[in-house]
Amino acid sequence: MSRFTQTLRALPATLLGVWLINAPAYAAVQPEESAWSLPRDVSVHGERIDWLIVITTVFVSILFVVMCYIMAVAFFKHTGDDAEVHYDHGTGKRQITFAMTVSALIFLWIDGNLFYFSMKDLDEVFWNYDLPQQQEDVVLIEINAHQWAWDARYQGPDGVFNTADDIITLNDIRVPVNRPVVMQIASVDVIHSFYLPNLRMKQDATPGMINPMWFEADETGEFDIACAQHCGAHHYMMKGMLTILENDAYEAWAAEASRRSQLAYDESNAELQWGWPWKEI
Amino acid sequence: MPGLTDLQPIHTAPESFIKRCIFSTDHKVIARQFLWLGFAFMLIGGIEAMMIRWQWAHPGEPVPILGNILFGASGGVISPAQYNSIFTTHGLIMIFWAITPILIGAFGNLCIPLMIGARDMAFPKLNMASFWFAFLSGMFVLASLVSPLGPGGAGWTTYAPLSTNVGTPGWGQTWLVFGIFFIGLSSITGGINYVTTVIRLRAPGMTWMRMPLTVWGLWLTAILNVLFVPVLGSAGLLLIMDRVFGTEFFVAGALAGQNAGDPIVFQHLFWIFGHPEVYILILPAWGIVGDLVSFFCRKPAYWYRGSVYAMVAVSILSAVVYGHHMYLTGMNPLLGKSFMLLTLIISVPAEMLFLNWLHTIWKGNMRHETPMLFALGVIFVFGLGGLTGLHLATISTDIYLHDTMWVVGHFHLTMAAASFLGSFAGIYFWFPKFFGTLLNEKLGKAHFYGSTIFITLTFMGQIVVGYAGQQRRLYDPYFYTFLEHLQPLNQMTSYFAWALGLFQLCFVVNFFWSVFKGKPASDNPWDVGTLDWSVSSPPPVHNFDPIPVVVRGPHEYGNPEVIKAIGRDYLSQTETYPPPASEPERIVDPVSEAGK
Repeated sequence: MSRFTQTLRALPATLLGVWLINAPAYAAVQPEESAWSLPRDVSVHGERIDWLIVITTVFVSILFVVMCYIMAVAFFKHTGDDAEVHYDHGTGKRQITFAMTVSALIFLWIDGNLFYFSMKDLDEVFWNYDLPQQQEDVVLIEINAHQWAWDARYQGPDGVFNTADDIITLNDIRVPVNRPVVMQIASVDVIHSFYLPNLRMKQDATPGMINPMWFEADETGEFDIACAQHCGAHHYMMKGMLTILENDAYEAWAAEASRRSQLAYDESNAELQWGWPWKEI
Repeated sequence: MPGLTDLQPIHTAPESFIKRCIFSTDHKVIARQFLWLGFAFMLIGGIEAMMIRWQWAHPGEPVPILGNILFGASGGVISPAQYNSIFTTHGLIMIFWAITPILIGAFGNLCIPLMIGARDMAFPKLNMASFWFAFLSGMFVLASLVSPLGPGGAGWTTYAPLSTNVGTPGWGQTWLVFGIFFIGLSSITGGINYVTTVIRLRAPGMTWMRMPLTVWGLWLTAILNVLFVPVLGSAGLLLIMDRVFGTEFFVAGALAGQNAGDPIVFQHLFWIFGHPEVYILILPAWGIVGDLVSFFCRKPAYWYRGSVYAMVAVSILSAVVYGHHMYLTGMNPLLGKSFMLLTLIISVPAEMLFLNWLHTIWKGNMRHETPMLFALGVIFVFGLGGLTGLHLATISTDIYLHDTMWVVGHFHLTMAAASFLGSFAGIYFWFPKFFGTLLNEKLGKAHFYGSTIFITLTFMGQIVVGYAGQQRRLYDPYFYTFLEHLQPLNQMTSYFAWALGLFQLCFVVNFFWSVFKGKPASDNPWDVGTLDWSVSSPPPVHNFDPIPVVVRGPHEYGNPEVIKAIGRDYLSQTETYPPPASEPERIVDPVSEAGK
């Protein structure tokens, strides 16, 4: 075995080792506002997505480095007058078995990891609407998108949507920390996409459809609501503000906002009636 | 059954300029016409790309040089609506009027008949029609660019209802959809031609498993075109009905009447075409790379059949994965998960292709000539593009990355960078067959290194800002608080993009100099054994006379026994080996002989 093939064989293990040594450091440091990092995660479940993105990036980087290494050696060494061509059609049984085994192993390793943890996340969190809705303190919000802003509606003390005590806000969504929030998202004109980068959540807002989405925040603060789907000239200005409050502050705000809504309510104003009865999901 | 020579009679060569150069039925002339068309639109699309990069580097500032000409009314500043038109037409032009004509129109036309030993396409007049449909569709795009209310601005995906009168009124968007419809017609007519030609006009002895991988790539692309472009055409027609005749197939919400349509149907129609489309654009490049790594490493293509099966598998799978573009549309969870699994499975044949390429270049004798460098460039950027696609195939990670710049970087690395470099690999390689001369190697190498380095940096820059959360298609990304800090990185990426643009000047100079002043190339300057290199450069009007008889596969290189016996490291596809002791018999076409 040449020194080169020895190095080649040691390479994946070395890279994995380097990564394993650095992994705790990577996980511990939550970098602030660097162009090379994900936005700050303020959700309970976002770390599952972050972990999957980072680990997959590490895995594919290993593959890519190995590929470049092979290309570089072929480029610099297997060339010139003294290069001996290894005449080989690659049709031997062993060679075909090797190629298929390597492909299968890479598939099981990287794609298998992705598939398994994604299925787990989808079943336990993203598409598991029972989890938040079974909890007593769940917050329900209806989002209605239009060019180029987000309307939000809370059911108010009566627990029914589209009534006089509903809280209605524009581009200003307030939620309590450590309580699940379920949203139903719709649009009146074109397709928008409700995007909360700091909560790792996104869902399309399509006219004629009501799409559910849920999250739970674990930190307070003010964060951007963004539109992720091209929706016309001022798509880039479709920014809202998500305010995550302590529970007491949220309750105080909700009570006051509902009181004011009732004062301003006008039954004859169709513009205020855009809500819909909460859909079973 | 008629013999091959009866199917392909020799006509007298056309004399008049119009029949020879404009309304020509000669596949080589049509190939050059597609090449020119592709270059013209690549220039427009490229300039648009540079303007998009300006907007992301310095939003709201006057565009240097071009600003006063194009955006005079606003003092050289791009307006939000103009910006939307620019990225919309950039995407459409690059896909349908630059990459498609060059990779499929030009190489398909030039390579298929020459590589399978045919005198022309099966349907030369349909072939001519294919080019003129493409030309007409190009005129529609130009009409869109100068329409009142501006060109279409609904993104290259033209998602309804934004692409209906609800979002983009005016004729600009309608012309664009007409353009898409007619370039689709061109793809279908061309596709029918390619499919038939490969099935019917292969030279005697050119079995399926002796075809060069380039022909395999082009043939599979043609099949996908014939199957899936009609779906796009039907979506386009329905959209035109919505725009012009007031129907509501895709309009819903408050602005629709009582019989609201369904915008999601448009997405289904679009992506059942759209996902095969990305393979339509890359399969020819894969085929070209598969051949070039063998030709230039002087080694047989490793596990040729494996590469063929992998390409066939990818073509089939391409039709059943399109749902991964729609994970966040409120898709049924079971459907979403099925699409996720199918999408991930595509990585298996892709890995087999990569392994075969790497095995081919391993322990060969690599010649560092420009076509080979570009082929390596394709492997490099497609590696990056393919690996960054895994994050998007998986629903959990796609929730965050969907519609961000990560997606933009990923598909640019795969279907833009890889197709672009693959096109150049082909142009440098087949230049003698296109124009009878060779391109300059020094300028070619400068072009290669500049292009590959800066195209990688540009699109990796997009991947990085996508990772940081930046959505695509933002007029001013820094309007969002969580993206403010990305401006320096985006500026840097813009400088890389402009450098990429400047390096294309190497090619422009090289191209025109070589076409008009280059030294005539020999018949076979690369020492390659496929049929296209057994005829003169450029080939005569009817390519082959007599039609050759093929005795082996396309990749017979570096056999030590052959080197010892005849002092040359390759065998052409028509050469018998061991060489006959006496004068070889005249090679005749056995099929047509039997018919006599």
